[in-house]
Amino acid sequence: MLGAAGRRILGLGLGKRAPGAVTAAASRGYHERVVDHYENPRNVGSFDKSDPSVGTGLVGAPACGDVMKLQIKVDDDTGKIVDACFKTFGCGSAIASSSVATEWVKGKHMEDVLSIKNTEIAKHLSLPPVKLHCSMLAEDAIKAAVKDYKAKNSKATGKAETVQTDKVENT
Amino acid sequence: MNPYLVIMRTTKNYSLFLMLRSSVGELFYKKTAKLGLRFFATGLILGNSHFHSLSPSDFFLCNRAYSVLVRDFVLCGGSQHGLQESKALDRSFYSSSTCSGELPKCWNCGGTAPTSIPFLACESCGSVQPRNLSIDFFQIFGLFLLCRERSHDIKDDNLEGKYKDWQKKLHPDLVHSKSEKEKMFAAEQSALVIDAYQTLRKPLLRAIYLLKLGGKHVDEEKTITDPEMLAEMLEMREAVDEAHDSLTLKKIKAEVEEKFETYSRSFSQAFTSGDFDDAIASIERMRYYDRAIEEIRKKL
Repeated sequence: MLGAAGRRILGLGLGKRAPGAVTAAASRGYHERVVDHYENPRNVGSFDKSDPSVGTGLVGAPACGDVMKLQIKVDDDTGKIVDACFKTFGCGSAIASSSVATEWVKGKHMEDVLSIKNTEIAKHLSLPPVKLHCSMLAEDAIKAAVKDYKAKNSKATGKAETVQTDKVENT
Repeated sequence: MNPYLVIMRTTKNYSLFLMLRSSVGELFYKKTAKLGLRFFATGLILGNSHFHSLSPSDFFLCNRAYSVLVRDFVLCGGSQHGLQESKALDRSFYSSSTCSGELPKCWNCGGTAPTSIPFLACESCGSVQPRNLSIDFFQIFGLFLLCRERSHDIKDDNLEGKYKDWQKKLHPDLVHSKSEKEKMFAAEQSALVIDAYQTLRKPLLRAIYLLKLGGKHVDEEKTITDPEMLAEMLEMREAVDEAHDSLTLKKIKAEVEEKFETYSRSFSQAFTSGDFDDAIASIERMRYYDRAIEEIRKKL
């Protein structure tokens, strides 16, 4: 009966960072990928908002009061996303979804990332139905980031990027 | 002209709907919900002349278990495309205790339901009654009385005292020796009162419930993109995240609670004046503040 939980109570650590969180999360039914993103977050951070090559997507989920910020750094010549980072305040699924989103957008052209679907993120993380909206939020964050970058750069170049922005708004 | 309003609310009580329908003729209803029937009067005719359209939430329904003084009442019949006929109802039709129907009777002793409090348990023999879906939370706590509208402001209404009073009559522990039927009633009613209490005591839940009663559901699916509000919330959550001593946390908590209060008041105002867009926006903000307060509590 003296399993991992018992050892924890007795103060004998498992030698890993925050073992309690992992076992607690796992016992709550989070998929190991979600736990992984929560425990080993990738790309958490912030870019300079005013940098013209940075697009910032800021979205929120009304149901649970989550806030998600996803930023992309775009190569102005090729239109490829060279770097991405996120900052999310929400449940483990929301954090994992945005983390996955930043990983997937890196190296892709900004037009291509617009077709990333929340269902793909959800499938990758094995999100339960009740957490699907977290992946939706991540999809919206990606689109918002691209939209922001385009808005900043169309102003600079004077080009009318209305066709693309309409596409973003219609999804 | 004094616009007397009928209080009418959404109800899942199909038999009640049928009763009303047969008694008053065509009821003009705008929506049917999947789970039950909802109906709204779409307007009010003042003095046989002007059609004054009102939003559905201005109306609430009186039900058999609970009487409300109903005054002049007009129903509009016809198709969705236009009003074909209107009937002005006789005031006496809705006299003190009936909505063209009888008051329910106790299944055990046959005693009649009281007219001024919800009929959850019989006053004469103490038997717990079956759950009536048309009684809403505000009625249970006596917050919807004659001529008084359901409001978001319920500070001085002794919710806890009333909650305890109800549980004294309904709690399942009191029906150990009674029939299976009554045990089931007690479990249902007790659960209902618990739900009602938990919903009404929290300003945010109360606000959402109020809107729901009025037929307005807060859209939980749509992503928020308001940059100003989100930036504020992000900053707030970052501040909470970075604070490590209880003094800073308590300071932030006080600030956020104040903001919550502001928007709670803003909701009350918006709701009372029928501005539902504003009410929903207030709820969104309240939720964010509430979430932040919860995170602070966890850290403290």
